[in-house]
Amino acid sequence: MNFRNIKIIINREYLNRVKKKSFLVTTFLVPILMAALMLVPMIMMLTSEEKTKVIAVCDRSGIVAESLEDTKTIDYVQAPDVPLDSLKKNMKDFGFDAVLDISEINEQKSVTADLTSVNPMGVEMASNINNRIESAIEDYRINSYGIEGLSQIMQDVKADIKLNTYTIGEDGEEKISETGVYAAFSMILGMIIFIFVTMFGSMVMSSVIEEKTSRVVEVLVSSVKSTELMFGKIIGIACVALTQFFLWIVLTFALVAGASAVMGTDLLKDKNPAQMVESMGVDAAAVEEVMPAEGPAGDISVVLDTIKNMDIGAMLLIFLVFFVFGYLLYASLFAAIGSAVENEGDSSQLQLPVTIPLMIGYFIAIYAFKAPDSAIAFWGSMIPFTSPIVMIARAPFGVPGWEVAVSMALLIVTFIVFAWLSAKIYKVGILMFGKKSTWKDLWKWLRQS
Amino acid sequence: MAIIECKEVSKNFGPKVALDRVSLEIPEGKIFGLLGPNGAGKTTLIRIINRITIPNGGDVYFNGRPITSTDVQKIGYMPEERGLYRKMKVGDQAMYLAQLKGMSASQARSELKAWFVRFGIQDWWDKKVEELSKGMAQKLQFITTVVHKPSLLILDEPFSGFDPVNAELIRKQIMNLKEDGATIILSTHNMESVEELCDEIALINQSRLVISGGVEQIRREYGNNNVELVYTDSEGRHTEVLPATTDGAPTLRTYLEKSGVQINSYRELMPRMNDIFIKLVTGEDRI
Repeated sequence: MNFRNIKIIINREYLNRVKKKSFLVTTFLVPILMAALMLVPMIMMLTSEEKTKVIAVCDRSGIVAESLEDTKTIDYVQAPDVPLDSLKKNMKDFGFDAVLDISEINEQKSVTADLTSVNPMGVEMASNINNRIESAIEDYRINSYGIEGLSQIMQDVKADIKLNTYTIGEDGEEKISETGVYAAFSMILGMIIFIFVTMFGSMVMSSVIEEKTSRVVEVLVSSVKSTELMFGKIIGIACVALTQFFLWIVLTFALVAGASAVMGTDLLKDKNPAQMVESMGVDAAAVEEVMPAEGPAGDISVVLDTIKNMDIGAMLLIFLVFFVFGYLLYASLFAAIGSAVENEGDSSQLQLPVTIPLMIGYFIAIYAFKAPDSAIAFWGSMIPFTSPIVMIARAPFGVPGWEVAVSMALLIVTFIVFAWLSAKIYKVGILMFGKKSTWKDLWKWLRQS
Repeated sequence: MAIIECKEVSKNFGPKVALDRVSLEIPEGKIFGLLGPNGAGKTTLIRIINRITIPNGGDVYFNGRPITSTDVQKIGYMPEERGLYRKMKVGDQAMYLAQLKGMSASQARSELKAWFVRFGIQDWWDKKVEELSKGMAQKLQFITTVVHKPSLLILDEPFSGFDPVNAELIRKQIMNLKEDGATIILSTHNMESVEELCDEIALINQSRLVISGGVEQIRREYGNNNVELVYTDSEGRHTEVLPATTDGAPTLRTYLEKSGVQINSYRELMPRMNDIFIKLVTGEDRI
């Protein structure tokens, strides 16, 4: 290996990309999108809370109305003495957003309720009203048993539990922790590694294809060794990835902070990690299981405490090692595939065996927070092809040191083996023209060189 | 002294034999023509000399010692399939390739500027390669091949893609480089340029070396060495072919003694390289 040559190659690969317009555009556009993604739901939450709906209640059962307590977003008002039909028709003029019509108690000791509104009611509001009516009916039914001292019993029975979760450090000291924060971290980090490996891995591939199609590769390998060319390219693009990653983080935070300052409120204060995760497209029910929508999760100080209590140093180390070696492993595979084809269209068939493990890793990772110590998460974080994504998703929940060490060692060894194999394929592949290569050809080249 | 010496060089790709024990010497300071039909193994041999491909058997010597990877910095190679990065600027591209050949940035810049002036293309430095016409890109490719002053130049079909004016320019540059002491391996199918430029040739067919040696010597060897005499008398111009055994002086004297006869030329008839090529490759005798 001639390091002077590798340096020249890295330089070109890096500068040529960083100076491109498309790089500048994505570098600035993505943080704007990210910031919008973070800010818009927050703004919506803030603005929607201010609007209070007024609901006229016509309670013919006589038992429900008292249970309908006003909330932040709903004011319940006794319906005026007007025929129900005309009230429904003219609710706007009476100043109501909706009319709730509750029937008389029927034989099943139940009621039916009809909610009529001009604009559709949110799901949240409907379920709130439903809950209130249900509990009113439950109270009524319990009362109908005529138990003595019932209200006292109910008072005593009523439980209001708030679950605080702690993790115990090795020094035996308790730390307050918040599963929601862990879950959000787990998913975001897993996703970052997945996106970067996929994005920059395919960048390596297209770059190899470009050199091959333009035939410049034959001139290059008459000056430098093919392995120098391949690794120079992979490292140069890795530097591009790190630059972009760094700029994205800095710019996103700057934008969010700037926008918060302009709007005069600290938007982060009311931010709920559960919603953050939901807004990333993970189904809400799965999130609710581990993250209660209400409670301490909404409190930014707990979030900050939790982050502080995570072993940031260890997390950073795990992130960097798995990020770098995960990228290196996949980039060399992508380079080998790129060397075998002459245009990008032909690459899809060869790419499949490489992208499938990446996808599997991604799917294990985004659900890892539900059971970070399950068998699938464990093996996912051990097998080198999925470990870069899955291990970082498990990391916020704490992974035993030996597991991390074994997984890292496996990943590095796998990288070395596959980089060596890829370099052999690459060496033959870049000078093969004129026919569509298959995996069988790649195998042949491997044995030939 | 041979700058390149191949000893029993063999290469096979799987069961397919590309080169079968080829031995040849390329003398320093000469233009060496590497000939052969398509698929004969020329490109494989060139790639082996460039150390792009490693042979399965045999050795290659550079200046008398086994060739190493640092020797490739003294070689300039222009492959038949030309290639440059399309999206890169002409200047950046040339700088990159020059630096990969071991030049420092400042050295590369000043040498390249001089070449750009020589070829009258100073204005192209900041243009993108994709904006260049085919001929322009060829010029750039030639410059990047020779800018590091290689002692061995390997040119695969160097004149293809050039118009006659630019082909002449390249021809002159090749002769200049030769005068400056460079050795040039010329792989081409253009037999006229072989006759005109090459001092020695080697012909490869079906993975084997068929013949090698000086161009004159080979042409003489494959001809019948007849002599052609052109003279003009009162009836006009005549051409006569005389056997190789003709004794020049008395023969000429008999013609000169006739009155009103003027000798236009008297020369040895040598077969054209084109015919020798066809004969050696196909066995068809046109000589």
